[in-house]
Order: sequence, then structure tokens, then C-alpha cells
Amino acid sequence: MKKSKSSLRWLRAGLVAGTALLLAMPALPAMAQKTLRIAMTAADIPKTNGQPDQGFEGNRFTGIPLFDALTHWDLSSEEKASVLIPGLATEWAVSDSDKTKWIFKLRQGVKFHDGSDLKAAAVVWNVQKVLDKSAPHFAPDQIGVTVSRMPNLVSARAIDDYTVELTTKEPDSFLPINLTNLFIASPAHWQKKFDALGSVADPAERAKQAWAAFSTDASGSGPFKMVGFSARERVEYAANKDYWDPKRVPKVDRVVLMPMPEANARTAALLSGQVDWIENPAPDAVNVIKSKGFTIKANAQPHVWPWQFSFAEGSPWLDKRVRHAANLCVNRDELKEALNGLMEVPKGTVPPGHPWWGNPKFDIKYDLAAAKKLMTEAGYGPNKPLKVKTITSASGSGQMQPVPMNEFLQQALKECFFDVELDVIEWNALFTNWRQGAKDPGSRGAHATNVTFAAMDPFFAMVRFTSSKTVPPVSNNWGYFVNPEFDELIAKARTSFADKDRDAALANLHARIVEEAPFLWVAHDVGPRAISPKLKGVVQPKSWFIDLATVSIE
Amino acid sequence: MVQAVAPAMIDDTTIERSPGYWSTVWRRFRRDPVAMIALGVILLLILIAILAPYITPHDPYRGATLRRLRPPGTPGHWLGTDELGRDMLSRLIYGARLSLFMGVTPVFFALFIGSAIGITAGYVGGWVNTILMRTIDIIFAFPSVLLAIALSGAMGAGIVNGLISLTIVFIPPIARIAESVTTSVRNLDYVEAARASGAGGLSIVRKHVLGNVLGPIFVYGMSLIAVSMILASGLSFLGLGVRPPEPEWGLMLNTLRTALYTQPMLCALPGIMIFITSISFNLLTDGLRSAMDIKA
Amino acid sequence: MLTYIAKRVIYTLPIMLGVTIVCFLLVHLAPGDPLVSVLPPDASEQLRQQMMALYGFDRPYAEQFIKWLGRALGGDLGTSIRTNRPVVAEVSKAVSNTLMLAALATVIGFVLGGLFGFVAGSFRDTWIDKVASAISVAGVSVPHYWLGMVLVIIFSAQLGWLPPTGAGPGGSDNWVWDWAHIRHMILPAVTMSVIPMGIIARTVRALVAEILSQEFIAGLKAKGTSSFGIFKHIVKNAAPTALAVMGIQLGYLLGGSILIETVFSWPGTGLLLSDAIFQRDLPLLQGTILVLACFFVVLNLMVDVVQTAIDPRIARS
Repeated sequence: MKKSKSSLRWLRAGLVAGTALLLAMPALPAMAQKTLRIAMTAADIPKTNGQPDQGFEGNRFTGIPLFDALTHWDLSSEEKASVLIPGLATEWAVSDSDKTKWIFKLRQGVKFHDGSDLKAAAVVWNVQKVLDKSAPHFAPDQIGVTVSRMPNLVSARAIDDYTVELTTKEPDSFLPINLTNLFIASPAHWQKKFDALGSVADPAERAKQAWAAFSTDASGSGPFKMVGFSARERVEYAANKDYWDPKRVPKVDRVVLMPMPEANARTAALLSGQVDWIENPAPDAVNVIKSKGFTIKANAQPHVWPWQFSFAEGSPWLDKRVRHAANLCVNRDELKEALNGLMEVPKGTVPPGHPWWGNPKFDIKYDLAAAKKLMTEAGYGPNKPLKVKTITSASGSGQMQPVPMNEFLQQALKECFFDVELDVIEWNALFTNWRQGAKDPGSRGAHATNVTFAAMDPFFAMVRFTSSKTVPPVSNNWGYFVNPEFDELIAKARTSFADKDRDAALANLHARIVEEAPFLWVAHDVGPRAISPKLKGVVQPKSWFIDLATVSIE
Repeated sequence: MVQAVAPAMIDDTTIERSPGYWSTVWRRFRRDPVAMIALGVILLLILIAILAPYITPHDPYRGATLRRLRPPGTPGHWLGTDELGRDMLSRLIYGARLSLFMGVTPVFFALFIGSAIGITAGYVGGWVNTILMRTIDIIFAFPSVLLAIALSGAMGAGIVNGLISLTIVFIPPIARIAESVTTSVRNLDYVEAARASGAGGLSIVRKHVLGNVLGPIFVYGMSLIAVSMILASGLSFLGLGVRPPEPEWGLMLNTLRTALYTQPMLCALPGIMIFITSISFNLLTDGLRSAMDIKA
Repeated sequence: MLTYIAKRVIYTLPIMLGVTIVCFLLVHLAPGDPLVSVLPPDASEQLRQQMMALYGFDRPYAEQFIKWLGRALGGDLGTSIRTNRPVVAEVSKAVSNTLMLAALATVIGFVLGGLFGFVAGSFRDTWIDKVASAISVAGVSVPHYWLGMVLVIIFSAQLGWLPPTGAGPGGSDNWVWDWAHIRHMILPAVTMSVIPMGIIARTVRALVAEILSQEFIAGLKAKGTSSFGIFKHIVKNAAPTALAVMGIQLGYLLGGSILIETVFSWPGTGLLLSDAIFQRDLPLLQGTILVLACFFVVLNLMVDVVQTAIDPRIARS
């Protein structure tokens, strides 16, 4: 069957006009329909099998719109912090007797796009697909994303139709946050694809092909249903008018997503009216885009652009006064201006108002006098500058514009008697060294590294940089910031199971991190996007994600 | 892009030039104003590349965020500044070094290796010829751009990898020309006679083969430089060639792309430089060809 | 004649085998992790080993090659690591898209190049020749990807006449030959046509000049043959070589479309190749290279055979 289709394509390629008729595809949607067309930055459509790749852009566009997870992020406000809210699970709690077992109560009456019911068995099935090698639908290519984002999840069990028990390796209060990444795909729909492949003998091969088929015709329970898929070119959604959350029933009829890795191509597509919305316009094109009547949306993301200090022997950053001085020496508003406004000024790893903020006593701001005073106290001055070396890259995911930004820091810190040496190395080498640590030769004797990170999950935002268990080569405590007090704070947070208690413990941790300042906090990325003026209801929360359901077209 | 013009371009007159041949060529070449201008432009570019450290007004690597993307005509920065605030003129001048280097070096190496392979195959003949030339045929079976990109893509970005890929791409056509000329020279009566009279292989190659092979190969190599320039800059443009922060015209086109809407003139500059250089090499080659009376 | 063709075809077989070996080696001997597209950057060594085994990358190269070749002969190039989609489907879709583009570009290049070349050759050494030759030299000298960017700025962003990217409002899967889709092809095809235009113009100029200088033309003129009659003669004599050059150019465009497809996001082999390279998707990468190289070999073979059929003297050389 596949063969005959592809041979048709060959004919067409031969420019035989007649074959165009044979290929006449289902008619395009009627013009009256309201279609939202978006250009993504990914080179290909992120995976649509329920475990998107391509970083958080994948979750944003092929995860959240198509699927639900047990827990969701609140994406409804541009001002408030984006916090964890119930998704498919209405409530959850850890078991009193065994802190590695969690009970999730499921929302009733939710249906997949294919019409099948979403019950506990479906959740178990979706955990099995990445964690149970003996499951018929085990999907090796989906493991990577899942395992790294929910490192402690071990298994799932259905207690009744609407109750699921999840087990973790060790007690871990972060599980509900991790679960925002586990999107629930329809087992019944996959089974249909699997059954249709009766001719494939090898079960693993058959499962693989079933997943490939599922990807081009996915079924979840999200506010949008997939209605069209053209590999590497576009994926098309239609509104799921029966979505369970009335607030998130889509206002547009259709969504078309197109991968466009080239910033210029995206800009051209927007300016010529080919799309209504582009992700991450080139900063230099922002003024032109604005002048043509388009809107630029941006909001602080849970992202940090830091210098992560080394606490290895001999590092100048061992002196807390020096760390504070650096944090006070940088005029971040000026940097923001130089970046066309496309950054947010940080006050810590998370912003004030966030549940993990915790009112730290050290205020990160621009105060040159105070910075100089601290440096003088530490024994440095105009005639005795402090030599520091930082490694960075010329490019890389999330790095914003590393070279000009670091040059800016170099200039700014000069005022406070720092003599900064920058070493620009290859992005992959920088990223690899992040795990090897400051003492590894790969760090080239640097006293700070400049790898940016996402700060949505407490492990990735705080724990991995401050725990004695995460020093290289285990994880990213690059600078060997080891302190029993922090280990205790982390243990407390990991074992405070009620959401409120956990957040309070994390707030303590965050306050102490800011006070001890193992970073020079420089910027938060703002996830800029440019949208057509005819779009209404675009809410850009303080998140990596955005809800397409609230968007309407005039 | 690399044309398989190989054997067709050697006509019978190629065989055994008279000693005054090159002065005749030069006399004819001088009378071609277009070719002379092209030669002048190329010499000027080479001069600029050599003198780069002495004539650049600014450090091509140092910039300042606050004066980035100034348009051409800015006082102090005649040709403006790039996306990191570096002086465009200085970078274009230094770019001449790397871009010419990336254009000329692979052709140079390919000339050496390709001729060596071709002459060996042609002179020795037999199974050596079969093995060498069939291997060359296999590499030649790949379209040049595809092979260059696949090789660089597989080996990873970088100047050296870029040079290697391009050299490999240019070896087969050169080897083919060398082989066919050598074979025809070998079979000439007086070369056969020299062999029969016991002249050593090396001296025959030096005396009779090289003199005939070098001319056509040299001209063909010249025509490859333009192709090589465009291919090398294309590799850098894709992120597979020279890496930042080195100034190279193709890479500059790539990194300046984001400013295409705000500073179109600025972004056009590296493209114009590539264009000027490559057209000069093409015109120079055309001039040489007609001066040497070799058919395209 | 027939024996020549048969010999030519048989001679192609070992080349094809060599091509498959090169494709395989190229991709596998390169440094880097073949699973980078499905493994998170902070994956543990244990997870990596487990995945290597699941994908069969832990087997010896010879075994992997023979397995791959065996399946490739049966028309199966494996599945993409990242998406699990069959490579054959991905490549055939991309090839057909690129072929459309390259065919249009070749036609544009042939018409314009033929025109410029003919005019230049007919009016040799006049200013008309100079202008036409200048255009053809410019065609082979311009960095075409840069030209593409300039065209997008002018015709899409500024004037808004033509769309800047993609293969039509419904994507290439819903391609129909209507204006809404064809307008997406115009800019990339025009950009792509400059090199063949230049090369064909130079070829035709040389051919026409040579034919005109031959004695039989003078004879025809003396016999009072109309200029149209002479034109027909020139076309008849120049056509085989010009067509052969055009055929080869089509092959080069197919293999060399990566820069243009990157600029225009045209969903063809170039974009597929660039994705495969940057995602390190090995089955996809070697499949794409193999198909393109085979295309090129077959195209060369066809050009050879057709040329020989028109002009049997070639078979002798």
C-alpha cells in the first residue's frame, strides 16, 4: 500500500500534470473557519505521540494543546506566577504508611478524541510505555524525555477506574510537578493502529510502526484534536468543543503549526501574512515588526541566565563579599535596553510573588557604591584588581546572546575592580563540562561557567546546584557548592508532601540560595513572540508555555 | 557545480608546447581588458589579505554591544558595525584572508593529490589505473555540493574539516583530466621511444608528462576556485564550516542574517564580497582559457 | 551500440556498490553520539548503553552494513531514529518536492540560458555578446543563497507579492497545481535557476559560435537558406550537448538544493539532509545521501545513453 502511494508521488514529481488530479487531496478547510497559524522555531514538528521532544517548545505546541497530564500549569494570568493546578487528577496525596506511594484521583467523564474513556488504566498504560520494557507498547524513543524529567517514578497501578497509585524510588515531594510532563495518550487509539499492522511479525517492530502511525493521527484528551499531519511541514488541529474545562474550550476553529527554524524566514512569514504568530523573532527585527503594526509579547520565563561560581580551592568567589559585590555591580536595566528589551531583570532564581520566593535578605540590584565597598573590604581596589575567568559559548539553547552579554558584564564588572577573562568555547563542550565540574580540565581553569537553565521544576531550578549529592559527575553542581545546611533544606523540601508545605520549604531554600549567592544572576529570558493585531486573548504567562485555547481571531 | 568537462577540453594542440608558448599566452592575455581587470581585483584582494593587520582600522574581534549594527557611513566605521558591534570594514578585510584561504587551499591540495593520482594511473596503467580511477569514479558519483555537505556534516564544523571535505570533492575531476592527458601522452610515439631507450619513469613523467598536464589542470583548477569560494562560504553559512567568532564572509552572512530587515545594506556586504571575488576568478579563468586556446 | 549501453550499465553496478559503502562509512565513522536526538543531554551512561542495544548500534560495523544493504536492496532504508517514520517515505516525499523545484529551475535556467547563450553566440564579440556573457558569468558567480535572501526581502517582506517560505497553503502533501501553491515555488525556483542559467548560457554560446564558424553554414547562406532555416540547423546541432548539460545540471540541483531549501524552508531533500545532519539521525542521513547519489548516477547514465543514441561517435571515446 505504501509502495503504491509513493510511486504516485514519483509520477507527480515527473511533472506529469495529469497525476495532480489523482492526488487531489481532501479539500482545504472552508474559508469561513477561523484558523490560527503559528510558526515554531523547531526544525521539525515536535513529536506528537504524547512525549514531545524539541525542548519545552514541544510541550508548548504538541503536548499541552493535544493532551492532558495529571497535573497542569496555571497559564491563565500574565501577572501571577504560573503554579501547579489539577489537570486530569482532581486531587493527590502521598500514602501515610509508605511515602513512596502516591494516590491520584482522576477526573470523571473525560474522553479521548477517539471517543474512548480516560480512566485509570489509561494512566497506567502511559507510564508503562516508557518504564515497562515488557509492555507491548513500550516505546524506546520516548524514554529519554520522560526519564530525565521524572527521575524517581517507577511504576503505576490502577486501584479502581478513577484512582491511580504511583510509586517512586524514594520519597519525593516533587512528583506532582514532574507529572506535568507525562501527557496521557489514548491506549484504545494506539491499539487500533497496532491491530491494523497484522502483517508485521516482530512485535517490537509492530509497536514501533504503531507509534509512527499514532504520531500522524494522535489522540489525547486536550482542548485540540489533531486533524492533519504533514511530516516536517505542518500539523493541524481542530477545536475540541467537548473539552472538560469550559474555560479552555478553544475560540478558534483550527490551528496550523509550522516548523520554521530560520528566524528570518519566520519574520518574513509574519510580515507577508503567511502566519499570524511567530515564536522568538530575531531581536534585531523587533522594531521593524512593531512598526508594521504587529504586537510583541514577552514575559519573564522560569529561566536563568547566570554565572555559576566555582567554590573549588583557590576560587576568588569563595568570598561571599565578592559574590555579593558582583551581583550589585551590574546595571541590568542597561543590559535590557541593549537587548531591545528582550530580557527580564532577575531578583533571584524565581521572581518575587512566586510560591518559592521566600523573601531573601540579600536584594539583587544595581548599587555600585555598595559593590565597591564590599570589594574594598575584601581587599581589592583599582590598583589591585581581582582576576576572574568565565567560560561561555557563542551560541546554544537558551543562551540568549552569550557573547555580547558577557562582554557587557566584563565592562560592568571592571567598575568594581574585576578583571574578567572570557573564554568562549563550543556549546557542547561547555554543556558537557557543566557535569564534569570546575575542577575538570574541561573547565580550563575557569572560576565561573555560563550555562543557562530552566527553573520550573525544583530539582532543575535549585536542588541540582546546591546539594552535596549532585556534585560532578552526578549532576550540575559545577562549582562544588556543598553546605550541610542546604542538604538539610533540600531533604526537608523533598519530604514535605503537602503542596503548601513543600512550597514553603522550597521558599526557604530559595531565600538561602539568594543570600549565599552561588550565582551571578544576570537575566531571565522572556520568550518573545510576535503576533498579528487581529489575534485577541493571547495570554502570555510567566511560563515556558502558553494556552492556545484562549486565543480568538477578529 | 563542479563540471565534468574533463577530457573534452584537451585538444590535440595541447601536446608538446613550444618554449615560447607561455610568453605567447601572456601576450594574448594582456590584450583582454576584462581578464586584466579581474586579475587586478584578485591581486588587490590578495594584497589586502596579506596586509590585513596593517590596514584594518579596528580589531576585527572586539566589539561593543552599545554600538552594534551601525549602518555603512557611520563616522569611525565606514562600513558600519556588525551584530556584535565589531567594525565591518576590519572584518571584511580579515574575512578576505579566511575566505580566500578557504577558496584556494582545497583547490591547491586537490591539484596536487588529484594530479598525482591521475598521472600515476595514466602512466602505470593496467590494474593500478583500474583501481585508482574506479575509486575516483565512486567519489565522482556524488553531486559535489551533497558530498561537501555530507562530509562536513559527518566530521563536524571547523576550518580543517571544511578544507578536507572540499579537497575530497575537487580531487576526482582533476584526477580524471590528469589521467586522460597522461594516457594520451604516454601513447605518443616519441614517449614510447624514450621508454624503449630505457629512460627512467620519473624522468619521462617530468619531461614529457608534466609539461603537458599542468597547463590544462592549472586552468581547470583556476575555474574551481570560484566554485570553492561559493561552496566554502555556503558551508559556513549552514554552520558547517568556519566557526564564530572568525571573520569569514559566508559566516558573516549567516550571523548578520538576523539584521536583514533593519540593516539590509550591511548584510549585503559579505555577499557582495563573495560575488566580486568569485566573478573575478571566473573572468580570469575565461581570459586564460582563450589566451591558451583551450575550449571550455 | 547496444553493447555499449549494456557495458555502461554493468559498469555502473560496482560504482553503486561503492556508493553504498561510502554512504555507510561517511555516516558511521563520524564522531558523535548516534542517539543524540532521542537521549536527553544529561542521560546516564546506563540509559545510553541500553538505547544503543535497542537500536542495534552496538553491533560490529560490517554486520550493520550488510544488514542495512540487504534491506536497502529490498527497498527498506530503515526508520528515522527521532520520529520512527520510514526513511523511504521521508526521502521519497522530499525527493519529489525537490524534483519539482529542480525541474522548474532547470526549465527556467535552460530557457533563459539558451536565450542568452544563443544571442551571445550569434552576435559574438559585439556589445550584445558582452552583456549576455556578463549575465551568465554573474549567474555562476553569485552566492545563490544570498540572492535568495535578497529576493525574499524584496518580493515577500517589502512588496508582499510572493510568499517567503513553505510549499503552499496546505503543505506539500496537499499539493495541487494551482496559483496558491505555484506562487510558493517561484522565488526558490528562480534563485535555483541562476547557476544552470549561467552554465547553459556559456555552453550554448560556445556551441553556437562554433557551429556558425563552420563551413556548411556559409554554404547554407550561399544557397539562400532563410535565417530560420539556419536557426533550425544550429538548434539541431547544439541541442544534444545542451540537453546533456541540462540533464547533468538537474542532478547537481537535486544534490545541491540544501542552501536554497534552508533559505526558503522548502520541504525537499536539502532540508531533510540538514535536519538529519543537525539531529544526527543516522538512518535518515545515510538514506538521503544514498538516494540522491543513486539518482545522480542513474541520471548520468541516462544522459550518456541518450547522447550516445543521438551521436554514436561518443561511444568510441
